[in-house]
Amino acid sequence: MARYVLRRVLLTLPALFGLILLSFVLTRVVPADPAATLAGDAATPAQLAEIRARYGLDRPLWEQAVVHVGQVLTGNLGSSIFSGRPVVEEIALRLPATLELTFAALFLSAVLGISLGLVAALNHNGPLDHLVRLLSVGGLAIASFWLAIMLQLVFSMDLDVLPLRGRIDVALGPPPHVTGLFLLDSLIAGRLDLFVDSARHLVLPAVTLCLPGLATIARFTRSGVLEALQKDFVLYARAAGYSPFRLATVYVLRNAVTVTVTQIGLLFGALISGAVAVEAIFDWPGLGTYAVQAILSADYKALLAVTLVVGVVYAVVNVVVDVVQALIDPRVAEQAL
Amino acid sequence: MRLRRLLARFQSSRRSALRSTGAAAALAASLLVLPQAPAMAQQRPLVWGDNLPATLDPHAIFDVPSQFILLNVYDGLYRYQGNPPKLVPWLAESHTTSEDGLVWEFRLRPGITFHDGSAMTAEDVVYSFRRLLAMNRAPAAAFRPVLKPEDVTAVDERTVRFVLSTPYAPFLAAVPLVAIVNPRVIQPHVQNDDWGNAWLAANEAGSGAYRIDPESYRPRNALDLERFAGHFMGWGHNQKPIDQVRVRPVLETSTRVLALLRGEIDSTDSYLPTDQVERVDRNPRTRVAKDESMRVFILRMNNAKPPFDNRDARLCFAYAFNYQGFNEVILKGLVVRNAGPNPNNLWGNPDDLQPYPFDLAKAKEHCDRARAAGAPIGREIEIHVQSELEQTVQAAQMFQADLRRVGVKLKIVPSTWATITGSTGRPESTPDMWVHWVSAYFIDPENWIGQTYDSRFHGTWKASAWYRNPQVDELLAKARIALDQAEREKLYAEATRLVVADSPDIWVYNTVNLRGLSKRVQGYSFSPVGSGGELRTMWLQD
Repeated sequence: MARYVLRRVLLTLPALFGLILLSFVLTRVVPADPAATLAGDAATPAQLAEIRARYGLDRPLWEQAVVHVGQVLTGNLGSSIFSGRPVVEEIALRLPATLELTFAALFLSAVLGISLGLVAALNHNGPLDHLVRLLSVGGLAIASFWLAIMLQLVFSMDLDVLPLRGRIDVALGPPPHVTGLFLLDSLIAGRLDLFVDSARHLVLPAVTLCLPGLATIARFTRSGVLEALQKDFVLYARAAGYSPFRLATVYVLRNAVTVTVTQIGLLFGALISGAVAVEAIFDWPGLGTYAVQAILSADYKALLAVTLVVGVVYAVVNVVVDVVQALIDPRVAEQAL
Repeated sequence: MRLRRLLARFQSSRRSALRSTGAAAALAASLLVLPQAPAMAQQRPLVWGDNLPATLDPHAIFDVPSQFILLNVYDGLYRYQGNPPKLVPWLAESHTTSEDGLVWEFRLRPGITFHDGSAMTAEDVVYSFRRLLAMNRAPAAAFRPVLKPEDVTAVDERTVRFVLSTPYAPFLAAVPLVAIVNPRVIQPHVQNDDWGNAWLAANEAGSGAYRIDPESYRPRNALDLERFAGHFMGWGHNQKPIDQVRVRPVLETSTRVLALLRGEIDSTDSYLPTDQVERVDRNPRTRVAKDESMRVFILRMNNAKPPFDNRDARLCFAYAFNYQGFNEVILKGLVVRNAGPNPNNLWGNPDDLQPYPFDLAKAKEHCDRARAAGAPIGREIEIHVQSELEQTVQAAQMFQADLRRVGVKLKIVPSTWATITGSTGRPESTPDMWVHWVSAYFIDPENWIGQTYDSRFHGTWKASAWYRNPQVDELLAKARIALDQAEREKLYAEATRLVVADSPDIWVYNTVNLRGLSKRVQGYSFSPVGSGGELRTMWLQD
């Protein structure tokens, strides 16, 4: 098992290196010139040249690439060209918000998706099955920005039961910073009021974000369960007299969800990228909104760092998923080695 | 058969699964009905929903959001107040100018203190200007051509002297751009000769009416301000000043409007989309403040590239834009038609200046003439728009339809501000056309016609029409150094007349700033510089 984990970790390293290089090239071939924005309205060409030289923007692209890769490998992601602050600090302020939202959405997708998939399969071709199918097609088809605005209009404006935007009520203020995850930090601080308030703020963005994932997971679980139901060991387990609940959850589901777990790993990437639109609409102060602002102002150091951080998080989640999969089904690890 | 029996056995397990799903739904529902956090006994702080700048360092950036920090956290020697904006002495109580216009002396008021309690002296003003010039970022651009760091000196504790290398009439108009910072707070944080830029990006060193809580700061996302009781202007003008302000920019326009209607924020930015004005005005607890500003909407033409090197081609385009349709229908009349490069409400415009009308027959006539002179009118013309700013897209789409009627093909290219301004360094990389606004950075025609149509500024985004007229260059150069206001007015009027006749760009309207406000916000006072973001005059109605 240890060898398997090590192998998975080592395999992600070249991918990350490729990401560093590719993202740099892609960001720098765009003709946006941060120097023009930095220098302001009436800057003369000479002033622009001076600023380009100061930030190394005048050097050949390959030279800039070498410098960039070297910096990243030594753990230096550089400073935001506008604020002058290390981008790592700025990202550290933003990442927990995105992680909280993404994990909440992932949790909802997984729990609801697996439950719905199971219910649909057990009710094969029945009304519930059709309902779940409708939900999955809808979940994949509905644009998240539309759904987000609809949820805001219904639950915040008309029914007035959930907040419209942000992570916490302005008058309350955030819990003392420990992890940056408001749900966790408010519990650590023993502030139930803050916990409830942040959970209420989390509901609409998490529901919006989870829908496509939920639909995918429900579909995969449903087909996995249907397939597992045909297997001989299910018949054997039934003959051995296990309770139907135990049969469904332990014997059928465990065999059916290995594919689903792989999907969860892939979904994580989709969730993080989907979070850009959802964060913007719900004014969720995460990496997505940070990336949008970096793009609009050509702050390429910030943009590169966001790409890299998301890449690393994605890689870590996928390694974890691989390990979980091997724990559920040890044959996976054996086959891989 | 076997499967069916098996499925039958699963019915009961399905019920149990449904039961657990039901429990989860009940839990979620309880979250909906749980009471919100107890209402605060004291007044809810002012929640300002306008944008924050990319950095809090007032010498590192100059855009509309940065003026909020400049006006509330810092002070300048002079300040613009009211609408039309009047330049009033601020930290300085007065100034003198030498006859040749080169030496400027400013006398500081007595008893000014920074937020840390230390007294402000002339040396602090010298430090601030030297820092600005050494960093050479956006706000320095107005001073660099005429002012060297060593030519800013302290004559005594309360007098600062500036010696300009050439006379520069807009100098005083640009002085309010410069925040006076506290060197004693900054210097311990200087790293690698950065003048403390990295530190000041998230902190402050000001004397302004409000101080910031650095702990609360999340770049472009959250900032808490607290009233500075010791502000040198005192608080006698405001019986109930606001003690706590939370700046919480809302990125998306639709969310911003909903948040205002719902009372989550007290102010939007000052560019509320015109189709939202009625909705905000109709709501019993919100209103829209409408104030004519100084911000000209402009469609640029690259005069260095055919067909725009031909005056008839440019006139064809100027006549083909449906000004009334755009201003009155699309923007619902919430803008003011602007005839030339300077805003209507600024001095220096000729009294008889006439705007180009929308006249497709005339447009066609000029296009035919241009075509006859060999201008490639038939080629596809690209217009670059700022995708995130819907109005730039709407203007281009409307123009595209009208130009088609005179046989001109316009291609709309989605882009961003940073990408477009990055390409305006050379005529060949500058787009055929692009769309933007010229905002009020300082109140002088130099900010509009001066920096836009004097060929000495070629290579900057403002001069990206690549317009060149030696007569205009000469008039603008004279106006820049003339010290007599009446003479300057005459020179700018003459230059404006020539520029408008040459039609290097298409000037569409002067902006009416539209800021959605909660009705509990009182004392809101608008000035084109700062767009009404100055907090010291505001109070909250209970």
